[in-house]
Formats: sequence, C-alpha cells, structure tokens
Amino acid sequence: MREEIINIKNLAIGRITDVTDTHELESIRIEYLGRKGKINELLKSIEKVPIEERKEIGRLINETKQTIKIVIENKLANSKPKTKTSFDPTIPGIKPKLGHLHPTTIVINEMFEIFKHLGFSIMEGPEIETDQYNFEKLNLPKDHPARSLQDVLYIEEPEVLLRSHTSSVESRALENLKPPFRIAVAGKSFRYEKVNASNNVMFYQFQGVALQKGISMADLKGTLYYFVKSFFGKHRKIRFRCKYYPEVEPGGGLDVDCPFCKQLGCAVCKGRGWLEILGCGMIHPNILKNFGHSPKKITGFAFGMGLDRIVMDKFKIKDIRSLYNGDIKY
Amino acid sequence: MKIPLKWLNKYVKLPSKTSVLTEALTLAGHMLDKTEKVNGDDVVDLELRGNRADCYCLIGIAREVSALFDTPVKLPESYKSLLKKSNLKEVSLQINSSFVNRAMMVVIKNVQIKQSPDWLKKPIQAYGIDSINNIVDLTNFVMFETGQPMHAFDLDKIGNHLEIRKAVENEKVTTFLGKTVTLNKEDLVWANKREVLSIAGSIGEKYHSISESTKNVLLEAASYDRANIRRTIYRHNLLTDAGLRHEKELDPNIVEKGVYRFLYLVDKNNWGQIDPHVFDYYPKPVKPWTVNLNYDYLETLGGLKLDTNKVKNILNRLSFKIKKESNNGLEVICPTFRTDVTLEEDLIEEILRIEGYDNIPTRTLSLEIPSYVTPEYISQEQELKLAATEVGLDEIITSSFVNEKYQEFNKNMEHPNASPVKIVNRPSQDTEILRTTLLANLLEVTQKVINERGTAAQFFEIGKIYFKQKTHYEEKRKLGLISWSKDSEVFAKFKGLLESLLTKTNIENLTFDNQQINNPKLINTYSISLEKTIFGLGGEFGNIFYCEIDLDLLLGKAQNPTAQLWPNFPPQIEDITLSVRTNTKVGDVLSLIKNTKYVADVQLIDTYEGYYTFRIWYQHPSKTLTDKEVEKSRKSLLHLIKQRFRAIIKE
Repeated sequence: MREEIINIKNLAIGRITDVTDTHELESIRIEYLGRKGKINELLKSIEKVPIEERKEIGRLINETKQTIKIVIENKLANSKPKTKTSFDPTIPGIKPKLGHLHPTTIVINEMFEIFKHLGFSIMEGPEIETDQYNFEKLNLPKDHPARSLQDVLYIEEPEVLLRSHTSSVESRALENLKPPFRIAVAGKSFRYEKVNASNNVMFYQFQGVALQKGISMADLKGTLYYFVKSFFGKHRKIRFRCKYYPEVEPGGGLDVDCPFCKQLGCAVCKGRGWLEILGCGMIHPNILKNFGHSPKKITGFAFGMGLDRIVMDKFKIKDIRSLYNGDIKY
Repeated sequence: MKIPLKWLNKYVKLPSKTSVLTEALTLAGHMLDKTEKVNGDDVVDLELRGNRADCYCLIGIAREVSALFDTPVKLPESYKSLLKKSNLKEVSLQINSSFVNRAMMVVIKNVQIKQSPDWLKKPIQAYGIDSINNIVDLTNFVMFETGQPMHAFDLDKIGNHLEIRKAVENEKVTTFLGKTVTLNKEDLVWANKREVLSIAGSIGEKYHSISESTKNVLLEAASYDRANIRRTIYRHNLLTDAGLRHEKELDPNIVEKGVYRFLYLVDKNNWGQIDPHVFDYYPKPVKPWTVNLNYDYLETLGGLKLDTNKVKNILNRLSFKIKKESNNGLEVICPTFRTDVTLEEDLIEEILRIEGYDNIPTRTLSLEIPSYVTPEYISQEQELKLAATEVGLDEIITSSFVNEKYQEFNKNMEHPNASPVKIVNRPSQDTEILRTTLLANLLEVTQKVINERGTAAQFFEIGKIYFKQKTHYEEKRKLGLISWSKDSEVFAKFKGLLESLLTKTNIENLTFDNQQINNPKLINTYSISLEKTIFGLGGEFGNIFYCEIDLDLLLGKAQNPTAQLWPNFPPQIEDITLSVRTNTKVGDVLSLIKNTKYVADVQLIDTYEGYYTFRIWYQHPSKTLTDKEVEKSRKSLLHLIKQRFRAIIKE
C-alpha cells in the first residue's frame, strides 16, 4: 500500500510537471483529487489496511493529497494563460465620468498651497461691503484720485457697495486678527466696467497681508520672489519696482518677463516685454493707526493681484467672459 | 504722460540710450507705457501715479532724471522784472469760496495774436493739441513745462468785475470745445456779473477766450481744492489737461512759477506789453515743512542698512534739504512741490527708490511662523469641491448677477420675503440684480448643454448668494447641484450623487422630506436635513434636478472619520419582497428594518410593479448568529412591517 501511494504521488508530480495545457492540468486534477479520483479511492481502500498501520497510511494519503494540490497550484500560478488571437487593444476605453475643478479654483488652490508653506492662513470676507472697509479705512478717503481707477458698483450710494478689491478683507483682518498673522485671500471683486474680452464687471483677486513685528520690504520681496518662482517657474525673470498705491508706503509693483514674446514686445505685454503681476508694499501707517496699531512698533506688508489674467494665460483662454458663463468644456 | 525727449533734454542731460532712461524711470515709479515718434522725435509715454502732481510736467520729470543719474537740472528762464503785488485797475476779482488756495492775474496789453512759431507749435503737437494762436498755445506750452495750468481771457470782453464762486444750480456754460455743461451748485466757476467765463480748473468758455481780434489779455493761474475740482471733472466728464493736473495735489507755489515763465516768453518774443502789477490772492502761503527720518526705522521698513552719507546724498539729489542731523537720524526739509511727502514712510520710499528696489535683499519671512487661523469652513469648502469632482461633477463659476432672461428663476428658496439686491449704477441690464439663488445661472448653463452641447450635464457651483431682508443685506455661501441627462434622469440617481458627495466629506444620515419651497418653477420639491435641521432644498424643472445646500449650516456637521473594518463573523443575507399600502414612504420601511435587532444593513435592491425587494444583512460584531436568532429577528420585523404598512409579503 505504502509503495502504491508513493508511486501515485511520483507519477502525478511527473505528469503535472510535464503538462503544458491548462485543460489537461484540470483533467489530471480531477483524475487524482476529484470525487471519484485516485486519492479518494485510496482513502476508501484504507479499510483493507491492518488497523495498526491505518493511522500511518491515512497520514501518508493526506500528505500525498496536499502535495499534489500544491504542485497543481504552483503549476497554475506559473503557467501563462494563452492569449486570444482576436484580442484588440485598439478598442476605445470606456471612461468613468470624471469631475473637474474650475480653472480659477485650480489656480487659487495652487497659490494657497504655496502661501501655506510660508505660514499663511486663508481668510474670507463679505462681498457686499461698506465704503468704510473698502476705502475709508484703507487710506482711500472720498475724492482720492486713486478712487477713479476703481469705479464702484453701489447698492446704496455712497455707503453700501460691492467690494472693488479684496483689500476689504485686509481691513477685516486688521480689525479681527491678533498679530502676528499672515493671511491669503482669494475672491470675487466688482467694478463698473465696459465688458469686453479682457474686462469684466466681476473678476477675481488674490490678496496677501502679513502683520508682524520686524517685517520689512526684504521679507515682502522674499515672499513674492518665492511665490513667483514657485508658481510661474524658477527661470522666470522678475522686475521689482517702485509703484504708488494709497494702501502702502513704500509701495511696489512686480512684473515677470513676457513668456509670449520672450521680451521682444508683443500685444499681450503691450510691447513692454514685461507682464504686470501684482501690486504690493508696506501697510500704510495711516491704515495701521486706523486699526489701533503703532507703525513704529509693528510693521506689515500687503500685496494684491488680479487672478483672471493669470488663469487665462495658464489655460490659454482668450476671453475673460468665457471663464464665468459656462463656456468651458471639461 | 508723454515726454518728448528732445524737449526734456533742454532741462537735464539724458543717457544716450533711451532704454537706460526709461528703465530707470520705470524702476523708480514712472513706468514706461510706450515709446512713439512724433514729428520724427522720440516721445516716451510714462504711466504716472496720482500722488506725484509735480511729475505731470517736463521739469518734474527732469528732476527725477536728475536724482536718478545724479546730474543737475537746468530750470527754464523766468521773467526777471518784479511785478508789484496789487489790485489791477482794469479788473477786480472777488473770491467767494474757501476752495481757492491761490489765484494770480496779470494784464498784458497790445498783444500780437499770431500763428505760433515752430518752437511753440511742435512740442504741444506731441500732446495731440492743435495749434490755435501764440497766446493760447503758450498757456499749454507752459503748463506742460511747469505743470501749472493757466487761462487767458480777452480783457476787453470780460468786464471789470470778476468773481470765483459756486455755480447756480442748472447754470449753463458752453466750453471752448463747444460742449454745453449744465452746472451743479458745487461746481466752482470764474464769472463776471452776467455770465460764467470758465469752469475753474478744467476749461474756459469760448467767447471770452483769445481770438484773432484780441487786443489785451488777462492771464490767470490758480490753485484750488483738489477734491472739489475732481468732483466737477468727473460729474461733467471734463478731464482736460488742466483738469488732470488740478485734481491732484498741486503746489500753490508753482502758480507764480508758471505765470513768470509765461511772461518771460511773451516778453522775449515781443508779443505784448506786460503790465507791472500782479494780482495775487494767496491767503495761506505754503512753506517748506520738515519730516523726521530715523535710521533704525529706515532699516526696519526697508530691510537694508544704508550708509548715512548715501542717505543724505540721495535726499539732496531729490531737492530735500537737511535741517538737522544726529546719530539717530535727520530732520529733513521738503520742497513744497513734493506734496506727496508728508510722512517718514514717504521719505523712506524716496530713499529706497533712488537707491533701487533691486538693492533690497530678499528674505523669505525669516520671522516666527504665526498661528494657523484658517477657519474650518474654508477647508470644508475645499474638501467639498474635491469630493464633488470625485463623484463626477464639473465645477462651474457663474456671475454673481442674474441676467434679465433668467430673472423668473431668481427666487430665494428659503426666504419668500427676501428681496434681491440691486445695483443703483448698473453698467447694463444683465449686471443689475444679484443672484438670490445659484439656480438661475446653473440652469442657464445646463440649458446651453441641452440645446446644443451634449447628452448629459452634471455641474456644481460653490459661491455666495445675496438678498435683502428688511433693512440689512445678507450673503450666504451655497452649494448648488444640477443634473440632467438625455436618457431620462431619475431622482434616485441625483439623490445618490448628493449623498455620496456629502459622505466624502463625512456627512451622513441625511433625511429627505417633501417640502413646499418658494420657487414656482420647481416641482417635486423637498428638504434635506440632518439632525432635524433643514440645510438644503431641492426640486425638479423639466427633467433637470437641482438642489441647493446652505454651507454655513452644514459647517460643523461633519463627523470625524473612523476607519471601518470588515466584520469577523459572517452575515446571514436574505432578500424579502413585499408590497405596501399606497403613499407609504420607502424611507420609513427602510428605517424600520434597519432598527430591528441583529440587522446590520439593509438595501433596496429592486422595485417592480408595486413590489419592493430589500436585501437584509443579519450580523453580530462578536459572534456568528444562529439560525434561531436570525429567525426571531426576521419574524419580528415582518410582523411590524405588516402591521405598520399593511405589507403583503411575497413568498
């Protein structure tokens, strides 16, 4: 009996090793391990074995069964399934429906991510604003010449309006947050505009404000350079120049090289070779005083930029209106 | 402002390359807009800033060039004979307004009116100004040169008594350019006893101006309250070259500079006899003022340490004078034309911009990192947007305004009494009324898809809606979800979409109930709530499904996510099919089954001709349930279903 079992095992292993076809392998499996297979027949014939040997023979049969099972499994695992000759990999894929974020959201998220690395938090503020927060507290008193650059949409003239820039959130931050703080803001702003491909009544701005003892123009410059290199690419050229904004003193403007003409001058950069990206500066002492801070004790910087132009350049969109009228095809 | 370089070169030495000049001016705050050629000469157009009233003239720009390149300014020659300050015998001036800072008048007799010579005609052509005659052209020439606007009247036409006064409401004047302006009682005018002669600070009237027959001239130059002039200019759309300058903070001391330069050129060219008297109303003469500069503060704000000699050198080049000097800083005297420099910070900017912003070091916020204060709702909004794209929705951002065509959908869903917010100075009909719901604009976008673009639309928008309640304005953050499909969309799919989306942000167990809402266009309307608070409303419009979620209410409802593991003990799963009394809500049946002992989960897997098939999982977290236990649970739930919903169980 013992020899018979060992023979069956060896023969089975040999056959399994030689087999090349999965169908044949399956028939071998049935021949040995099936309900009426050789192993079961061996188990049935165990009655014929003397009682004192039964335990040992039983163990041997089980071991044989396990061995054959494992060898078959290994063979199956190693055997390569046959390729169907009719397989056509050029058939179009059936795509699951994917959702997409709006280009403006993508840009905002990317910018927030960069500023988070620099210790900025995100903040929001109301879009329906008062003259106080939008202008007055930001060193833009009534009849200030700079106001003519920002023709405002009034809800109740002259006090209630739609914010004309996200600087209104700077007012809110200076009023509500305890320094030190660094905040970034992105959101809608509104101005009285004749609508065309590059001007819209509603547009997006991105704003940053930092207030902390010891902050200087060097920190402002470093922050903005870090941002520009991270967002626009590390090889971009940057021009940092003096510029007047009533909300800051000293004030600055930041330009990057025009990527469309390699600075040779084109319609996009109006022949200047540079694209104006943002306005910035040290928070004006009058504003600090308006919110109860002493300019000699604490300093801060602020910057702001229009987002739509950046989004349009990044996504090759020609008309600002198509950003916000559902014309984007995802 | 346009700067003809040949003209500028008369006052200051220019670098040989124009780009060196314009680059330096740009970096120092006067950005080059464009370069052009007029009459063959280079003209650079600089984008000047509103605070530098002194730069709106050639001398101003010459001073900037002088400071930047450390080269002297050569000021133009001025009339040398001192005029006697007195009233004029030909004409008097009464000033009835506190808005006049200074007013000067001089009489020039036996004037020769003629065509302007080339030296006068050509430079002003760069400004697009057509030559009229030598006297009128000279007022413009001197204005571009010195920055001081001035006006010449025909002395014989204006009468003997002039005044500067506020206009009478609806008083009319026809300008030199033929435009009739109906004045407001705040507008400042020059007038005689009968009529208005000019609108102060912007433009003169035609009849009283210089014509070919003019024999005697009254020249006036003045300085006014900037804000008042500005209001007039914008009220009547009169942004003339004079207006452009008067709306800024001009130095009253340049009034006489302009007048004396004008007289010099008249005298030099023998264009008339200058009367030796000058009328000069100047009640509060402006004297140079001092501003202190602290070196430490310069370093704190500027971020760089500058040698004190360098600081003094820069200030001198800019025409500032050092009054006192100490180890800590300087007491600086500001020239009166620098009306923009009144604070220490202004002075610091002056030093930095001449030193060059290029020389400021770049430090990446070397200070302590402040605490992270992003409010939770902002992160939540970002998560929601991502989750929405994960369930296949595309993000749309629409205008905050609703156009005329879609106004019928612009109803706030929650507050029937809320009125929409309107713009009083609307740029167009389509940018007048703010949205009170996200529905109208999302519907417009969806209908574009239906009409011409595709077979399905699934969009979301997160943004503000606005409305007015009684006297106060409200804005709320909303999530709008819209879905349409050509192969008739079903509510259950839309609902599933919303549920999946909110599950992604850890908001679960929403309740949906029938609910009337304030929008006559929507049918099959319902509310969505969580823990008995309604935070969303929805409905259907022509096979388009829409719902709107209040994000402010949703805030804080998110659970902390916990990881779930597969249970260790196998479930028993069975399907039961039953019909229930009409009007029974499936949600109620589901919640009854769900609340039965040992039921771990239940799903509706099929509905067919009034029959519902539920799949039920009986499962225990810590043991394998016996058939007996399951049977007991099963019996009890079937009993309850029969009793409560008159259910008929299909065997």
